[in-house]
Amino acid sequence: MIKYLCKRIARSLLTLVIILTVVFCLLRLMPIEGYFQNFDKLTETQIQVGLQEMGLTDPLPVQIVRFYGQLLQGDLGVSRVYRANVPVMDILADKIPLSIRLGSMSLLLALIVGLPMGGLMARFKGKFFDKFGTLFIVFIQAVPAAVYYLFIQMFGTELLGIKMTFDAEDWRSWILPVLSMSLGNIAYYGMWMRRYMVDESTKDYVRLAKAKGAGGSRITFRHIMRNAIVPLAQYIPTSFLNTVIGSIYIESLYSIPGMGGLLVDVIKRSDNTMVQAIVLLYATVGIIGLILGDILMVILDPRISLGKKAGGR
Amino acid sequence: MAFRLQKEKELQDSMVQNLQRQLSEEEMFSFAEYNEEAGEKVDFTNYSYWRSTVQTFCRNKLAVTLLCVTIVLLLFTFIQPYLPGQYDPNKVNMDMMTFVAYRNVAPNSQFWFGTNVIGQDLWARIWAGTRNSLIIGFSVAMVEACVGILVGVLWGYVRKLDFIFTEIYNVLDNIPNTILLILISYILKPGMRTMIFAMSLTGWIQMARFIRNQILVIRDRDYNMASRCVGSSTKKIITKNLLPYLVSVIMLRIALSIPGAIGSEVFITYIGLGLPLEVPSLGQLINEGRSLMMNASLRYQLIIPTAVLSVITISFYVVGNAFSDAADPKNHM
Amino acid sequence: MRKLVSGILSAAMVASLMAVPAVAEETADSTYHVLYSGENSTLNYLVTSTQAEQVCGANTIDTLVEYDNKGNVQAGLATEWGVSEDGLTWTFTLREGVKWVDHTGAEVAEVTANDFVAAMKYQLTPEYESANVQNFFGKIKNAEEYFKGLAGEEGYEEIAFEEVGIKAVDDYTLEYTLEAPCPYFLSTLVYVNNMPAYGPQLEELGESFGTDNEKMYYCGAYYMAEFEPQVKHVYKKNTLNWDADQVYIETIEKTYNTEAGTIGPEMIKRGEVDEASIGADILDAWMADPETSELISKERSDTSYSYFYCMNFNPNFEEEYAPANWKLAVNNENFRKAVQFAVNSIATISISEPNAPQQYQSKTITPVTFATLDGVDYTQNEAFTSLEYQGFDMDKAVSYKEAAMEELTAEGATFPVTVLVKYNPSSNDWDKECVVLEQQVEYVLGTDFIDIVVEAGPSENFLSEVRRSGEYALMKCNWGADYADPETWTDPFYQAEGDDLGYKYQFMRTAINEGTAAAADVQTYFDLVEEAKSYTIDLEARYDAFAKAEAFLIDKAFVIPYGISVSSYICTKLDVFEGQNAAFGISRLRYKGMSIKDHYISMTEFEENANK
Repeated sequence: MIKYLCKRIARSLLTLVIILTVVFCLLRLMPIEGYFQNFDKLTETQIQVGLQEMGLTDPLPVQIVRFYGQLLQGDLGVSRVYRANVPVMDILADKIPLSIRLGSMSLLLALIVGLPMGGLMARFKGKFFDKFGTLFIVFIQAVPAAVYYLFIQMFGTELLGIKMTFDAEDWRSWILPVLSMSLGNIAYYGMWMRRYMVDESTKDYVRLAKAKGAGGSRITFRHIMRNAIVPLAQYIPTSFLNTVIGSIYIESLYSIPGMGGLLVDVIKRSDNTMVQAIVLLYATVGIIGLILGDILMVILDPRISLGKKAGGR
Repeated sequence: MAFRLQKEKELQDSMVQNLQRQLSEEEMFSFAEYNEEAGEKVDFTNYSYWRSTVQTFCRNKLAVTLLCVTIVLLLFTFIQPYLPGQYDPNKVNMDMMTFVAYRNVAPNSQFWFGTNVIGQDLWARIWAGTRNSLIIGFSVAMVEACVGILVGVLWGYVRKLDFIFTEIYNVLDNIPNTILLILISYILKPGMRTMIFAMSLTGWIQMARFIRNQILVIRDRDYNMASRCVGSSTKKIITKNLLPYLVSVIMLRIALSIPGAIGSEVFITYIGLGLPLEVPSLGQLINEGRSLMMNASLRYQLIIPTAVLSVITISFYVVGNAFSDAADPKNHM
Repeated sequence: MRKLVSGILSAAMVASLMAVPAVAEETADSTYHVLYSGENSTLNYLVTSTQAEQVCGANTIDTLVEYDNKGNVQAGLATEWGVSEDGLTWTFTLREGVKWVDHTGAEVAEVTANDFVAAMKYQLTPEYESANVQNFFGKIKNAEEYFKGLAGEEGYEEIAFEEVGIKAVDDYTLEYTLEAPCPYFLSTLVYVNNMPAYGPQLEELGESFGTDNEKMYYCGAYYMAEFEPQVKHVYKKNTLNWDADQVYIETIEKTYNTEAGTIGPEMIKRGEVDEASIGADILDAWMADPETSELISKERSDTSYSYFYCMNFNPNFEEEYAPANWKLAVNNENFRKAVQFAVNSIATISISEPNAPQQYQSKTITPVTFATLDGVDYTQNEAFTSLEYQGFDMDKAVSYKEAAMEELTAEGATFPVTVLVKYNPSSNDWDKECVVLEQQVEYVLGTDFIDIVVEAGPSENFLSEVRRSGEYALMKCNWGADYADPETWTDPFYQAEGDDLGYKYQFMRTAINEGTAAAADVQTYFDLVEEAKSYTIDLEARYDAFAKAEAFLIDKAFVIPYGISVSSYICTKLDVFEGQNAAFGISRLRYKGMSIKDHYISMTEFEENANK
């Protein structure tokens, strides 16, 4: 297992390098117009000087080597367009904690509500609770988030008697963003939990347990849930790590200065250093999430093996 | 040993005797009586997977209703332009003497769903938008399903490929879609085909990972081990052992990826990379409606497209779920 | 492992709950709250050319002269000024005792003439990428030579900065030397490129000047007390400002919200902000509701931008849209006139301004009220009033159509002529305008004559992909005044030999280069502009000559005048007419002189204020 993990981590570093290189090259395909804040008004000379200064006139391999050289020294570079001449690290350092805080709160809420909800729905399949839960899930799935977020903000702030925009100092203004953000995940976890549990409950070992005379709740929670949670568990670490990405809708609506929409923003504004830094961050997070997810799956279900080559083809 | 030889001899004798017996005509051929009960038994063993699936599905009245709704909706979006008295979805309705457009007209007998901010008929735009969104959804879901299942199965089952596919997944999954979308919109003309292409380009990867994880869970179960032991080919194990087992979850996944694609179209429009105005879509209509949402009297421009989108999503969700329940052989009976 | 998971969970929970301290609410009466939806990428006023980013410079840095709320020049940092007899040397006497303050409002140093010199030197350094550097070229002596020499451009040699036409004679005397007499020089001073910056700080910070509110000093009506990108900007009144008595708003607090357009109006209803713009889409509904209709007024009308339709003489689009056919058509005067008379700008303007579109319609390129001479508006010059083109005219359009059809058929053109119209999908309402344009013009001219094809361009790099590469037949373009003189409106059309036509509009020079039918008229226009530019002393002759050139451009239907920027409807507690006003420069961005009222200004009040 340890050996497997070491190998896996080494491979992940390789993956990161590939990702960054691919993104780096893709970004160089973008038109140069984006590199300048005021492209329209600049003279040809200024553009040339600017490109030279950014090292964009060098051949691609040279640029890549230089990029990795800086990266190894822990230098992510300075933003060019998003916030001219400000180090990327400084920009991200302000934003990441807020998004993580918001995201993990909402994810926790989603897990606390979503998993039991799915479990209970499966337990009482076809009964009132199942129908009610399904209705909720269907609603959340069906209505675009962009729309119901807006309704929640509009009526929620009125109901709570608070301002429409976010204020980190006021705990009440956290309620609606966290709640809005968690709704989608509640539905997601609820839906798949129910699905997997229903699938599991027709399996033979459940029939056997029933035949043995085990009680309904005991079967549901000791046998079925444990098996049903396996495929879901894989996504949980990723979900937590992904909170760093933030939510573009929520953060725009409530004026929350987090990471949400930052990537889209910097890509659209061709701020390459920012894009590279964010891609690096997200990719790292994604890969760690994947590893943790696999580990978690192995732990929860001993039948699954990752490292051993037994029976391999 | 002697005892055995003796017994064998006896048996042989009796058989010979039996064969040599003279039989009458009647004894050799006689009609069996028709037995209804026995007939039923034969029928039961004549089990057809798909027939049972359909039968189970049909028992879910809600799902059947919604399936009909979807089909009707689908047909209607294609028939609608040919109905009499329809407006062109892109036509700005204006007074041709003064060139003043009929803007933000609330639903009435002339404009059934009202008009939008520049005076285009929302009824026509919503159906055209639904049609376009469904086309996008179906196309993307099909590509996702085909590529995703193929890759996912290989990825999950063939261990040697795991490394490569995991690598490909990590790379593709971590390249921001927005970069691709912008690059594509820069290279190709904005339009439906570009949108479908852009969305399919990386959409399959999630499906593939999903399948891979499912396969990983069941790959080493006993019956697959057994299959391998008796020397079944990889192809046979995949098509006969693994895929049928996964039909139910795959179905659900596909059913959900259609509204999923429509939903991501809403998002792409939101970040400003959506379809041009002359190609209406639900995403575009909803985004236009969003900016009016704070005004009660204009909210119809948001609510109607949202409702259509919701109906589509709900239908696919319920139908998908019902079908995946029905596709599970354990639920047949 | 399960313990570990729950450990992570609980850690996250604790972390997330810990950091939510209690509240403290305060609202000062003289604080002006407003939302903004686009973040500044820099506060460095010396390099930016976008209006949104110039707001900071406009309010925190003073200029040599200022405009009052009626548009008259008055003293600013300079108390006196004069020009030499040859019109080449301008001398300014600076106000004494003006202070630089930092982001806490504390005094740092005194503003001297050297700070103006330092600021110009900074901008003329190529690596700082100042977007406004071209404003110096051809005006300030040797500015272009110095800049291009530094950049190592071919044909230029490095020269000493001392040779550039700006000099601090002493701490309080500043001298500009121009390349040629410039009757409108004072107006160019009220722009970011002629603002001062504290020299030693510029030297020290270089590229990172203005990247943060702590990385610049202020001498204007306000200083920037807080700059939290994508959160808020807070401006506080600078009590050390020489004219602090005229500054009435104590604090301006701008909160970032990308959905400002959607939630801003609702926040007005709840009284949470003091200003929000009301989009044309919800305007009708707000006007219809007696409660909200009282809250709406408008922005002061803006004549610094002009919009017009350009016809491309160098079509460079795909074969399917028949560029050759379009080239034939666009070189035909009657065809151009038919299109010119057929475009009804009222129909398209009413998309963004449904109530009074005619207020924003122009019949000239130069906007009304942009320039006046002896009390007569420039656009009332006889050259314009005697023009045949006075806006949309269906009958004329149809008669020109017939003439064009006859002539063009003889030349071998095919009908209907395909007209490719492109728009930038990320630009608000432009798509909608194109749809309306298509329908309206096709209705007037008939689809047997013209087939307008509307197509979305790329949302990124629209300019270089479409306008500069000539991938359009007809397109709405705009031009912003760079100084307060009619010459500024000829800049996009006047194309000298060897100019990069991509940076000019509609490739008119192509007609001359290729000797097509319109060549003679294009040449006449260029000659008229050159003649007008030669009058530098006699303003009347100058204005007459520019008016003649512009009228010729319109009369030959090279362009279709469209309108000026539509003033958006806003809810605000400010009387916008109290603020500084000028057709060019940053005067309109200043809050100085305005005071917060206790209610949102209504339309009637707005009109009363306008006529005060």
